Amino acid sequence: MVEPARVGRGPVVGAAALLGLAVGIGLWWEGLGLLSTLTNVFLFLLLTQAWNLLGGYGGYLNLAMAVFFGVGAYTTGILAYGWGLSPLLTAPLGGVVSVLWAAAVGVPSLRVRGPYFAVLTMILGFLAQVLAYNVPWTRGAMGIYVSPLPWDRRTVEQFFYFTYMGLALVVTGLTARIQSSRFGAALVAVREDELAAAILGVRTTWVKVAALLLGAFWAGVAGGLYTQRIGYIEPTGVFSLDISVDVVLMAMVGGAGTWQGPLLGVPLVMLVAELLRVGVVHLGLFGARIPAEFNRVVFGGILVLIALYAPDGLMGLLRPFRGRRLRV
Amino acid sequence: MTPALLMEAMVNGVFLGLVYALVSVGLSLTLGVLGIVNMAHSAFVMLGSFFALELLRGWGIPPVLAALVAAPVFFGAGAAVHRLLLRRTASTSEAMGLLVLFGLLLVLENGSILMWTTDTRVLPWQPAQAVLSVGGFRVALGRLVAAGLALGMIGSLDLLLRRTLLGKVVRAVGQNPDAATVLGVDVARISMVVVGAGTATAAMGGVALALMFPFAPQEHLRWLAWAFLVVVVGGLGDVRSTLLAGLLVGQLEALAGVLLPFQYVYAVLYAFLALTLIFRGRGLQSAQERVL
Repeated sequence: MVEPARVGRGPVVGAAALLGLAVGIGLWWEGLGLLSTLTNVFLFLLLTQAWNLLGGYGGYLNLAMAVFFGVGAYTTGILAYGWGLSPLLTAPLGGVVSVLWAAAVGVPSLRVRGPYFAVLTMILGFLAQVLAYNVPWTRGAMGIYVSPLPWDRRTVEQFFYFTYMGLALVVTGLTARIQSSRFGAALVAVREDELAAAILGVRTTWVKVAALLLGAFWAGVAGGLYTQRIGYIEPTGVFSLDISVDVVLMAMVGGAGTWQGPLLGVPLVMLVAELLRVGVVHLGLFGARIPAEFNRVVFGGILVLIALYAPDGLMGLLRPFRGRRLRV
Repeated sequence: MTPALLMEAMVNGVFLGLVYALVSVGLSLTLGVLGIVNMAHSAFVMLGSFFALELLRGWGIPPVLAALVAAPVFFGAGAAVHRLLLRRTASTSEAMGLLVLFGLLLVLENGSILMWTTDTRVLPWQPAQAVLSVGGFRVALGRLVAAGLALGMIGSLDLLLRRTLLGKVVRAVGQNPDAATVLGVDVARISMVVVGAGTATAAMGGVALALMFPFAPQEHLRWLAWAFLVVVVGGLGDVRSTLLAGLLVGQLEALAGVLLPFQYVYAVLYAFLALTLIFRGRGLQSAQERVL
């Protein structure tokens, strides 16, 4: 068992202050724009932590978090559209269906390692998208409309703000616990050398499957809430490769395989995205067209730079200053 | 369904297959010789298509000539990618190499969208639309030219690898880089040549594809999937088995196109690819571990 690193008073006070600030914004801030942006931050924090278990600790580069997200979103969509179930019920069900999907499709994929796993998951993402377009019960390209929650806009926005925030905090806490548990150590062992881990008695298959299903559950819940929040889903949006890529990018920027990484990476990447959007529009570099692609060029460049110079992300860059207590 | 229709689909499948083989052979080569999964492969395929478009629009250079011009240009691009990106990650980890190439893919794809927008293009080369009758089957000239180009390139690559000293050295690096180093081979330089050649064939494949299909910057990932399908079916690093696998995939797509409702063709091919990756992925891995 790894000894949990002792934390000084500073970080605890800082975290409490941030949390207080977040709650305060949720309760009293007037502008819905900020609330909505922060809700997106929490949504991606949830997704990134969900990816982090298998992708960060386990070293299995999953390029299809959008599939779990999309399956959750469609579960809510179909249940709410067809049966009028409440989102409080459909979101956990979205998680459950997503786990079932992961068990059926994802678990066999875990036989494949390294770059092939990444490619395979990407292909499975395309497959899910094609299926969502063509199976009868998803309404294909028409998409699904869900009637909004019966409250005023502000209350709805606050509801999702606090729900996503709560979930993101729970999952982050859970990830922190896992990091210092036997399960976390086993995942890291799988990442470092799967064969050696197996020889030393780590039940590698079980560990990988558990990490995959846990991640699939949280991503499914996130997707299940998303449908209710946005009110409309269609295959290109919820199964988008962009979602999967963003998740990987955010984890890598912060530091994959640490529970603090997503806390740093998600807000930073979203801040950069926001600045680019505002900045490029103001400069008028590309005329009136929405330069979403410019974003992605920059993000691609960031991904290259991180992989070349900072493979452990911001956490890796910060570590030397904190003293390497856990190093032998 | 008439037998004639089926036969026509199969003939078309042969042309498709030859082009798929050309599109895939670079992926197979870099993977088989260097153990690098080139995620950015299809981005270079797409750039090849636009290269042909620009040469045709700007200077009226016909596509076949454009393919020949593309070879050295994209060889240089591939060599630069190896020199600047892959060499650095070679010593760290596999995952980082993959991420570098994935980042490159994003940059190339979205840079292309900024440059050429997301509109779907067709190569405005009039002769491509002409329809010939070959042995009783109607074939568009564009397909014929594309297939001829592909066959010519694959044939030369096969000769290069089998008959020349350079080819021997490349195969030696693929079999055992350490031993090759001991024998005086500059492995880093050969790796650069292999990535360059892989990128050059990708771009030429892009030119050939542009003769057969409309293209757009954001739609290239389909070709990555198809190239993987060919590589997974055909195995690694051997040009002739890549050719065979390409022909097989061409037939598969052509027949699926005739036998299945249109919207299920992709679903079937993706599912087939996922299954083959799951069941043959280990075979590829062991081949790669042998390489490393």
